[in-house]
Amino acid sequence: MSWHMPTTVDEVLRLKASKPDATVVAGGTFLGLVIRQGLLDSDEWISLQNVDELRAFGTAGDLSAGAMVTHRRIETEPAVRRDWPGVAEAFGVVASPRVRNVATIGGVLADADYASDPPAMLVASRAVAEVASVRGMRRVPIEELIVGHYETELDDDEIITRVLVPRPTGSAAYRKLRTRSREDRPAVSVAAVRETGGVRVVVGAVSDRPRHYPDICAEWRPGDEQSTREVAAAYADRIPCLDDGRGSAEYRRQVVSVEVRRALMQVSR
Amino acid sequence: MKITLSVNDRSVDVDVAPSTMLVDVLRDELGITSARATCGVGLCGTCTVLLDGRPVSSCLLMAPLAIGKRITTVEGLPDDDAVVRCFSERHAFQCGFCIPGMVLTARDMIDTGRANTPEEIREGLGGNLCRCGCYVKIVDAIEEAAR
Repeated sequence: MSWHMPTTVDEVLRLKASKPDATVVAGGTFLGLVIRQGLLDSDEWISLQNVDELRAFGTAGDLSAGAMVTHRRIETEPAVRRDWPGVAEAFGVVASPRVRNVATIGGVLADADYASDPPAMLVASRAVAEVASVRGMRRVPIEELIVGHYETELDDDEIITRVLVPRPTGSAAYRKLRTRSREDRPAVSVAAVRETGGVRVVVGAVSDRPRHYPDICAEWRPGDEQSTREVAAAYADRIPCLDDGRGSAEYRRQVVSVEVRRALMQVSR
Repeated sequence: MKITLSVNDRSVDVDVAPSTMLVDVLRDELGITSARATCGVGLCGTCTVLLDGRPVSSCLLMAPLAIGKRITTVEGLPDDDAVVRCFSERHAFQCGFCIPGMVLTARDMIDTGRANTPEEIREGLGGNLCRCGCYVKIVDAIEEAAR
């Protein structure tokens, strides 16, 4: 059993290329959960804990967060709260401060858990992941990165190195409905981000991946109650909702129609 | 694997599998029992320890991730710690099971200036559960310690 602690991204990529089955560890909160539940074990671990370049953080121009930037940093950084308030909010409502002190932006995207808060807001905000391997670097919109339950389109030798979020041109809302306790994951989450000429509405936590329907969003007229209700109803109709401990599919469909409407009303102003 | 951890300002060597959680190292290898694995999914707060001064759930933290960081449990707080004193003076506990986690969470809230009002304190304790229901006195104790 080996626990590798490389110190540079190049070293990580070479290791990952030579050991494609090795498990990459970022903050380790998601891994901690699945290990404890007996769902995962590994002989080879590649931990990013000593790769300082993955903690790089910038807010001049795009929001640029290295894969190892924690939720807590994004939530509390004054420039993010001021210029990307929707992003700060979505990261700030994840679990408890104990988890947010450790969980990372790269990790939450790579684990692709349907019930995480940040992905819906990152999709709505047109965020892009930089994905690297020994073969080179490519940029993948978060909308295309998460393809299903705990599934991304990353290849075995690739890791997420950085996430870029463009500067918003309009208001944003993040709505999280919890059905159990304060620190729970959402039963339904809705991210809405206004941009020039429209809005991006993304619904998370109700199906295998964040759901965004540009054709439905195109029907929305800001401030118009009728079109707001129609957009919300269309989202509820189209998303294949799932049943789990946080709510039945039928309940979720009902809540989606309410929360999408409320999110759109919030960004109408 | 052999790893060296810094626990309450003491350097300790342990031999553990990488997938061993920090709470199990503290309890089973080092005999530090104030951190308790209860829910096992990071919700209840009884396994809280400070990592470089910030609270984390030790039931979800793979032990090697703590290499090179300062681990503090409630045993490592100074004898005259204001939070401990206020919890004691105000009897802000009943069975005491959740209290180490409460105290460490409060320590961080006070250190980072996030314990200014009862509302802020209640918000900060969102992930720490007390099944005896001593929240009123716990919030009072933290409010006093923050002064």
